[in-house]
Amino acid sequence: MAVIEVEGLRKEYRGWRRGRTLALDGLDLVVPEGGVFAFLGPNGAGKTTTIRCLLGLVRPTGGRCRLLGADTPKDLATVIRRVGSIVETPTFFPRFSGRLNLELLGRLHGIGRKAVSDVLERVGLAERADHLVKTYSLGMRQRLGIGAALLKDPEVLILDEPANGLDPAGIKEVRELLRRLGNEGRTIFVSSHILTEVQHTADRVAILSRGKCVASGPVGEVLAAGRSAGLIVRVDDEAGALEALRLAGIPASADDHAIRVMLPPEEGAIVTRTLAERGLYLTELRPDEVDLETVFLELTRESPREASP
Amino acid sequence: MTALLASELRRMWSRHLVRIVAGLALLGIAITGVIVAVRSSPEVGADPRFPLTMLPDVLKGTSIPLIIAGWLLGASFIGADWRVGTITTLLTWEPRRLRVIVAKVLACAFSVFALAIALQAVLGGVLGLDAAFRGTTEGVDATWLRETSGVAVRAATLASVASVIGFAVASIGRNTAAALGAGFAYLAVIENLVRGLRPEWQRWLFSDNAAVFITGGNVGFSFQRTMLQAFVLLAAYAAALFAIGVVMFRARDVN
Repeated sequence: MAVIEVEGLRKEYRGWRRGRTLALDGLDLVVPEGGVFAFLGPNGAGKTTTIRCLLGLVRPTGGRCRLLGADTPKDLATVIRRVGSIVETPTFFPRFSGRLNLELLGRLHGIGRKAVSDVLERVGLAERADHLVKTYSLGMRQRLGIGAALLKDPEVLILDEPANGLDPAGIKEVRELLRRLGNEGRTIFVSSHILTEVQHTADRVAILSRGKCVASGPVGEVLAAGRSAGLIVRVDDEAGALEALRLAGIPASADDHAIRVMLPPEEGAIVTRTLAERGLYLTELRPDEVDLETVFLELTRESPREASP
Repeated sequence: MTALLASELRRMWSRHLVRIVAGLALLGIAITGVIVAVRSSPEVGADPRFPLTMLPDVLKGTSIPLIIAGWLLGASFIGADWRVGTITTLLTWEPRRLRVIVAKVLACAFSVFALAIALQAVLGGVLGLDAAFRGTTEGVDATWLRETSGVAVRAATLASVASVIGFAVASIGRNTAAALGAGFAYLAVIENLVRGLRPEWQRWLFSDNAAVFITGGNVGFSFQRTMLQAFVLLAAYAAALFAIGVVMFRARDVN
């Protein structure tokens, strides 16, 4: 079952000064139930707009969104109890304590003080729970936002850059929390630009560029599709090695003081033999591992934006 | 809806501005009580003795600061939500925008009404003590009590209506300053222009109808209007502005 379905979603912002800006250009997206789904894209790609459309904060210009089977924003109220969310930097009343802020929200769904205390403990804010939010650091506000998102004990968590403002230890904690929540069978839909973090946390990924989804699927598949597998070879005589490989019909190219050979890693022996036969001995041979950042940059590489009409 | 209303009431009463307004009002009442006690003579036949029968007129006078306070509290209640961005957080918990805005305005109007009644009761109590110990309570009877409570309820109602108007304007402009600026511009510029250029339109002005509603008569006015008619007109203004606020709140993006 798909937890989030987005079909042909379009959003155009109109302003007096900037004219029309197309934030989403027919976005299609399906997020299956369970696990961590990373939603990636450069700034301005439309991640936050998509999340705002899903949560009924922004009215789409076209297309449709469904969350837990309910059309949003029309039927969102029927499922909102099962959805926790953070949109950009979470906002709370600065002159109220963290506890009071959560209690006021919890009251809307009959969530009691015990649950509020538990969630404050869970996000590491128990000691500062009764302090005013205006005295909180950005990281603490982010933790409070995560606490608010968890307060409903939701089936689906929609988190927009949840690690914003957190220190490295906080980022690690969030990563572990997301993984744990995903393992519990919840669906975590998380937008992020910290790609290395996402790669180790997410089960599936979608990459957004200029309002459209350019890649989507399990992380391994997206990585494989983003760039062909290869081998990195280091040798003292780089020019000689390139010539030897060319003569043997093996595709290769110079790549940052190394040679990138377009053969799958399991065919490394062919490279070794070819070069050894010509008296060229390897100093390094390793698979060319593709990371999410590389794929992301390749998929979202774009010509300079055209001016908005 | 009940939970939402309860949550908004709790938020309203937890606001610093509400406490500041209440605190300043209580300070003003205390100072007034002391001044009246000092200036009033307890001796029979002495002049002046503070008569408790003056209380309705005092309450009519306090209706103006109550209306201003109501406007300010209404405007800042929703204005703070927009300024801080908490409206986004709230809508991710309760996406039915009509419910949200109705709960907010009800919490605001009810709180302002209750606060106005409470402050007037305290003022009445303080002046009652002044009259009992240093003035006179002659003429205080059931008719006086009816008149006094009528003025107090009408002043509180008007403060409540002002809070709805302030709320609606701040909701349309998405900040408190817009509502305060619009209120000032209306009272200082538009009403004076109308009085000077189109005196026949005076019957439609907020402050003239508010005065009719509070005083309960048309003494000094160039038009005839009953208290009920004045109230209906003021309530209609508040309802119309609130309706515009609702339509805009439901239609606009929350970024």
